Amino acid sequence: MSADEIREKTDMQKAIVRPAASVRILSPDRVGRIFPHIVLIVLLFTSLMPFVWMFFGSFKTYVELTSSKTLLPINWTFDNYVQITQRVGFPRAFINTTLVAVVVTAATLLTSSVAGYVFSKYRFWGREQLFTVLLSTMMVPFAVVLVPLYVTIANIALADKLAGIVITGLCSTFGIFLMRQFMESIPNDLIDAGRIDGAGEWWIFTRVVLPLAKAPLSALAVFTFLGNWDSFLWPLVVLTSPENRTLPLVLAGLRSLYWSRYELYAAGSMLTVLPVMIIYAAASKQFVRGIAMTGIKA
Amino acid sequence: MTTQTTRSSALPVPRRNLGTAAAKTLRRPQFWFGLMVLLPILAWYAWFSFGPLLRAFWMATVKYDLMNPTESPFVGLKNFQQVFSYPLFWISVQRTVTFSVFVYLGTLPLAVFVSMCLVSVARGRDFYQFVIFLPVVVSYVAIALLFRMLMDPQTGQFNQILTALGLPRSLWITGPNSALPAIALIDVWKGLGFHVVIITAGLLGIPEEMYDAAKVDGAGSWHRFRYVTIPLLGNTLLLESVIMVAGTLQAFTNGEVMGCAGDSCFWISRLVYTEAFTNMRFGFATASAFVLFIFILSLTVVQIRALKPDWQY
Repeated sequence: MSADEIREKTDMQKAIVRPAASVRILSPDRVGRIFPHIVLIVLLFTSLMPFVWMFFGSFKTYVELTSSKTLLPINWTFDNYVQITQRVGFPRAFINTTLVAVVVTAATLLTSSVAGYVFSKYRFWGREQLFTVLLSTMMVPFAVVLVPLYVTIANIALADKLAGIVITGLCSTFGIFLMRQFMESIPNDLIDAGRIDGAGEWWIFTRVVLPLAKAPLSALAVFTFLGNWDSFLWPLVVLTSPENRTLPLVLAGLRSLYWSRYELYAAGSMLTVLPVMIIYAAASKQFVRGIAMTGIKA
Repeated sequence: MTTQTTRSSALPVPRRNLGTAAAKTLRRPQFWFGLMVLLPILAWYAWFSFGPLLRAFWMATVKYDLMNPTESPFVGLKNFQQVFSYPLFWISVQRTVTFSVFVYLGTLPLAVFVSMCLVSVARGRDFYQFVIFLPVVVSYVAIALLFRMLMDPQTGQFNQILTALGLPRSLWITGPNSALPAIALIDVWKGLGFHVVIITAGLLGIPEEMYDAAKVDGAGSWHRFRYVTIPLLGNTLLLESVIMVAGTLQAFTNGEVMGCAGDSCFWISRLVYTEAFTNMRFGFATASAFVLFIFILSLTVVQIRALKPDWQY
């Protein structure tokens, strides 16, 4: 890759991170300046309002939630949270979900970065073909492998075990793709310089390559963690006993356990959503950038 | 397998020294590192990706015997025949396609519009994007329960708003006709932020000179949008279109958790799930999943053919 190409790529990434002050598509008069803000503020409101309802609803009693027209609770109650944590095994589900999400995220970061590195910086026979074959698995709808994958898991006695969820999440094709795309832009000279100085491959990977890949790694970490936190279909198939359930399963179970008990739904949803919102608030830049990156490159 | 660095592979290896070349390769640290990385990853793929896919091909062509899977008799395309003659399958196809169309038409124009607004504001863009993106990261199950509350025909906030505006109340997801549009609305609300981020990135990638040139030529805002923005956004819109079609046709969670009126959100993925794990018809379920696969694949090819821009800049 020539120096110009590298510069072009980093320019492109800069464009995503720090976009031009304003791309004038609408006319620059006063209407053209205020109109977008009005649209966006309306959208802000519609994006936030349901969560606000949910938040205040979780502090209302059933009677108040279904009858009052005010947003704020008249009588604040924490009873919904007490009930939800004591009755349906929420704490256990919380631990299960955290465990799965953390382990899968750690594994995905490792496998994606090493595989991305090898696929972008090593040259070996059949590399492009192999990579294409791996990528093509992304096109297969999950429904196709749902049953056979379950049989695979059941055959190694991991049905109804959290390990059954973890083992299928150890590698991520999307992750390998993302990391490879990024590592293409790391100059070979850096790696060769390390080799000339007598550094081992693992040392070069961990000390030279990984520090440069912080941005895509953090994007991938947020993606993977949230994806696993929210995952529903696969856990629904694999996990059957109550003590193994993850949060989305427990939450979905509320509907049949407590018909129309919206105050419990709201409290349960709040507890599930809160960690997600905290992580998102802390890492929204990486998250949004990660999506923009995949969009630009594809 | 020969593993070399990009750099050193430029050096020609004399042909008669194949033996020494192999020995040289084996001495390279890169060879061993590459091997140590690729072998476990390929093993994982063989076990949990390609293996299940091959097993899916096999499963779709046998009458799966739960007690004794290896003895399952081969039935050829009979599973597919059964799928095509199963009334519920056609219902699920109709529901899935309708849902997809609703979400597609609801999301794409809106996402382009919002993205245009987003790139036009100089101040607060990051903040707007942050909030608009919020529904994307939140679990579908929580969203489904939340909207069950908001859409409750008697007590829900949506009907309260409609009443306050003097509009007729709706049954939302509990009405046989309103269920599918209602659940599509939730999907549009949840997915919008994701698509806005991609399209915004696409818009920001359009060189500003293009607009300047169009302005010099006397193009108004509509002409600039129609003849500069839309064509130059071609690749992004194609990507968007493909993602959206494939995603909505595979929808599962919201329909499963929401529980719409009757079979109005009995989508193909839910048919696969029910047939497999309620009726224990593994062969049938996998065959119907393949039909979905082929459907998505052909739609993707059609979209690429139809929407792929024939220019580059």
